[in-house]
Amino acid sequence: MVAVLMSISACASPGAGEKYRDDKMDFGAIKNVAIMPFVNLSRDQSAADRVRDVFVTALLASGGVYVIPTGEVARGVGLAAIQNPTAPSTAEVIKLGPILKADAVVTGVVREYGELRSGSATANVVSLSLQMFEAQSGRLVWSTSTTKGGVGIMDRLLGGGGDPMNGVTEKAIKDLVTQFYE
Amino acid sequence: MNRHAALLVAFAFFVALLSPLETAAAVLTDSLKPSVAVFVPENLSGKPAPLKVLRESLIRDVASIGISILDDASLERFMLRHRVRYTGGIDGDSALALKTEEKIDAVLISSVTLYDESSPPKLSVIARLVSTGERPAIMWMGSASVSGDDSRGILGIGLITDPVELREKVVGSLVRSLAVQLSGEKAEAKPTKGRYRPKIFYQSDSFSPGTGYAVAVAPFLNFSDRKYAGDIIVLHFIEELLKNGFDVVEPGVLRQKLLNMRIIMNEGITLKDADVISLGLNADLVLAGKVNDYEDYTGPEGSPRVDFSVLIIEKMTKKVLWSSKSYNRGDDGVFFFDRGKVSTADRLATYMTSAIVEKISQPGVEVEGEPGLGELPFSPRRTE
Repeated sequence: MVAVLMSISACASPGAGEKYRDDKMDFGAIKNVAIMPFVNLSRDQSAADRVRDVFVTALLASGGVYVIPTGEVARGVGLAAIQNPTAPSTAEVIKLGPILKADAVVTGVVREYGELRSGSATANVVSLSLQMFEAQSGRLVWSTSTTKGGVGIMDRLLGGGGDPMNGVTEKAIKDLVTQFYE
Repeated sequence: MNRHAALLVAFAFFVALLSPLETAAAVLTDSLKPSVAVFVPENLSGKPAPLKVLRESLIRDVASIGISILDDASLERFMLRHRVRYTGGIDGDSALALKTEEKIDAVLISSVTLYDESSPPKLSVIARLVSTGERPAIMWMGSASVSGDDSRGILGIGLITDPVELREKVVGSLVRSLAVQLSGEKAEAKPTKGRYRPKIFYQSDSFSPGTGYAVAVAPFLNFSDRKYAGDIIVLHFIEELLKNGFDVVEPGVLRQKLLNMRIIMNEGITLKDADVISLGLNADLVLAGKVNDYEDYTGPEGSPRVDFSVLIIEKMTKKVLWSSKSYNRGDDGVFFFDRGKVSTADRLATYMTSAIVEKISQPGVEVEGEPGLGELPFSPRRTE
């Protein structure tokens, strides 16, 4: 039984991530969102900026919330004297909210961004997680993650290197934005 | 009858011999011929480029369409007197001084965005004519980007291997465009192919697309490996906005404003910066953004790559009205024998910026089903 369960979990879709959603939170009340710089754990030095750039535009394009321009967020971080903008403390989130007139603050971690090799096959992969904090109280209200791309059966059989990096990033971001509205 | 046919053939042959440059010059009347100062081209290629030779070619061809050029000695004296070192734009004070002291109507400003002598050679130049006086205005802007293997032809008979020949082709193309503009004719605009449209975009409900806006294009952040990529994208946006009828602030004037106000945008434009720019320069919209990739290739094999995002902030509401993400490769949509391949990042950037400006300037653009947004469980905001 254990072996069957293990084999099923090994075959799980790479897009399936862990989720947390605060049931008491009224997400409809969130109008303005500040997206902080992402933590970059990948080998590509510009990965965090690239992923954040796509996420900002995609969230704006969703039409549900207004995303504060990244330059304005940087100004707010300076004014609030936040030491580490990628991981603000509760007090710092509460301080930043009124400065930017933001209802929520989003932080993120780019865990993987780039080419993945499995045997002789290669493909691009993006893995990231997001956390949303309510600006008024500073508490975590939403946390999620996603992984897109990677070496699939077709890549193993036919090669080709998988989808381009931008395409994989867009898929991952789309998945996250979809999760936000679920 | 045969004689008439022979005369017709002879006439057609004569017309074919007459270059388009001469045809355009012929229609320029004296009232349309401004006196012009030609600045030394700005080098945005990131590599050494023969700027003096290019300037000489520009002067020769511009003079050939009947425009009088300010002599080098006078221009040099003016530059020394006013301590003008930056030739990539012109600020208000220098423009006024040129008008009053040298009696010059306009300045020809050019930027070399790509120069590669290795076979096949590649050259890209963006040029603009800016009026002098109290408020410098861009009268014309054009760009030309050519690779030696653009029209290879059968057995390579169309291949250009001489950088000088390529330079003449680029300069000729720019001056023809200038002559057409000055003669009052309107160049025919071709719609951009769908593959160059932004992959994701947001358009505010309160934004009424149209061309009645005054726009200031703020410097783009450059995260690419290519030096000056941000400046190049800015120039392409200015060119496309002008082509589509927007009133665009001369970048030299904006640069001076940013220097005077000591504005440095390390992490993107802030609302305060946008406010200062729009109020100081009377612009309705401020366009800013960042470049993630801007890559050209050397030699015959390869494909250029351009990736950037854009943001438009409105003066009145201080809100983002437009935000988009664009990325393309030169071989996007190319399947057979490199047909339709774009050989330079410069030309690719032209198509990509053109696709964005088309969307901004035309009302009622349908966005559902756009690549990159089709599978979302919601409809993006749009203006019908």
